[in-house]
Amino acid sequence: MELALQQKLLAQLASDRAFRETFFADPARVAASEGLTGEALSQSHCEQLRQFARVLQHRRLAQVGELLPLTHKALGTRFADLFHNYAITPPSGTRPCEDALGFVRHLKQHAATEGLEPEWSLSLARYEAAQIEATWLDERLVFRCLPHAVRKLSALLAVGDVPAGSYRRLSLALWWRTSTRSRLKHWLR
Amino acid sequence: MGRKTEITNLLAHLPRLGVGLAYRESFRDELLHHQSEVDFVEIIGDHYIDAPPERMDELALLSEHFTILPHFTNLSLGTAEGIDPVYLEKIANLIRRLNPPWWSEHIGFTRAGGIHLGQSAPLPFTQEAVEVMTKNIITARRAIATPLMLENVCSPLAWPGGEMDEPTFISEVLRSGGTGLLLDVSSLLNHAVNLGGTPATFLEKLPLDRVVQVHFSGGQDACGQLVESRAHPIPEALWQLLDDAVARAPVRCICLERDDVLPPLSEMLGEVERARAIGRQHQRWS
Ligand SMILES: [Fe+2]
Repeated sequence: MELALQQKLLAQLASDRAFRETFFADPARVAASEGLTGEALSQSHCEQLRQFARVLQHRRLAQVGELLPLTHKALGTRFADLFHNYAITPPSGTRPCEDALGFVRHLKQHAATEGLEPEWSLSLARYEAAQIEATWLDERLVFRCLPHAVRKLSALLAVGDVPAGSYRRLSLALWWRTSTRSRLKHWLR
Repeated sequence: MGRKTEITNLLAHLPRLGVGLAYRESFRDELLHHQSEVDFVEIIGDHYIDAPPERMDELALLSEHFTILPHFTNLSLGTAEGIDPVYLEKIANLIRRLNPPWWSEHIGFTRAGGIHLGQSAPLPFTQEAVEVMTKNIITARRAIATPLMLENVCSPLAWPGGEMDEPTFISEVLRSGGTGLLLDVSSLLNHAVNLGGTPATFLEKLPLDRVVQVHFSGGQDACGQLVESRAHPIPEALWQLLDDAVARAPVRCICLERDDVLPPLSEMLGEVERARAIGRQHQRWS
């Protein structure tokens, strides 16, 4: 069915930057290779598609920012820049929580290859990712050992302070449920 | 009785709710303190699908204090691949639990070729797309007896090969699917700016007798271009359009949406009150 092919093409164009650039280089060839025969998206839709892709990225960013509030505060405006580098491909899962976990994986890779300042922001990202796993995935027990003072940093960021210093100190964080229907418990030191 | 009369009769019997807010967790406690100033709360239903018990506790707390309208994005009624029956069943369960006067989705698609976009993408304005929407709406209505409202979407993208204009497309979908309209006036305004045309002409061509609910929100995104984003104060042009829509359509409720950076609740409550006065002025509620 033509509409199914058109929708698949639009979904790829809107969410995959590399695919989008290949398409703009030769829209007719890409459309044909996707099996489209009728009137399809073309070069003239280039700017509209880019803008639509920005809208989608912006929506993903807002949702992920809400799930990672401490990381967002810790990284400030760089949160959005780093997110845009990550969101050049479609989200791996179907839910915002999976997108947030994908972004934290991206931050870990980025920290390992290029570094991430302040260093403690990665500990906060890992802490929030663990909290998402415990809350949204069917994990009954989640434990993290983090190299920074997560509790102190969270308290400072919550009142709008910008923590200065290294805050190196081991934090242990545990989340658990006694059954899938019971309420989540959390312990942090 | 003709099908059109049947549906407009059904819509006419829906309750007059007044003015409410799109719910955000961050203002929950404050909202509960200002309960009397908000007539209902709209939730993003998708956020309560496969949700942990704490999230469902929050929903139970909200339903004790407010009428809840569940609004969905991810059912993807415009998808040519057909809607996901498992997701539909989960939505049906949530609606059974909430027992709302109606529920809503979008005239668009969020899923195609295994990609979940998370936001409604527009459909080409073709007969094939009307047929796809109709088939999926009928499947959804078979699973969920509660009346369904469909929302117009805003997009910077216009498909090639359109066989009709957008208002005609929307009218056809509502008519053949037997649903009401959730009119997003902000989308209408942004749409006109993005793609040309005026919101008044667009409004003129819509089946206004089917409008049950209205969404309104701010209108600038982070890229500085007009797209559907709800982080900014309501511009005067939008208040005017809201007034125009409420004067002409038999709306049962108006919902203020805000995304991104939320203003203080007091600011939003001021906007809720102003919208309530508009409804009162046009005798939509007392
Ligand atoms: Fe809306």
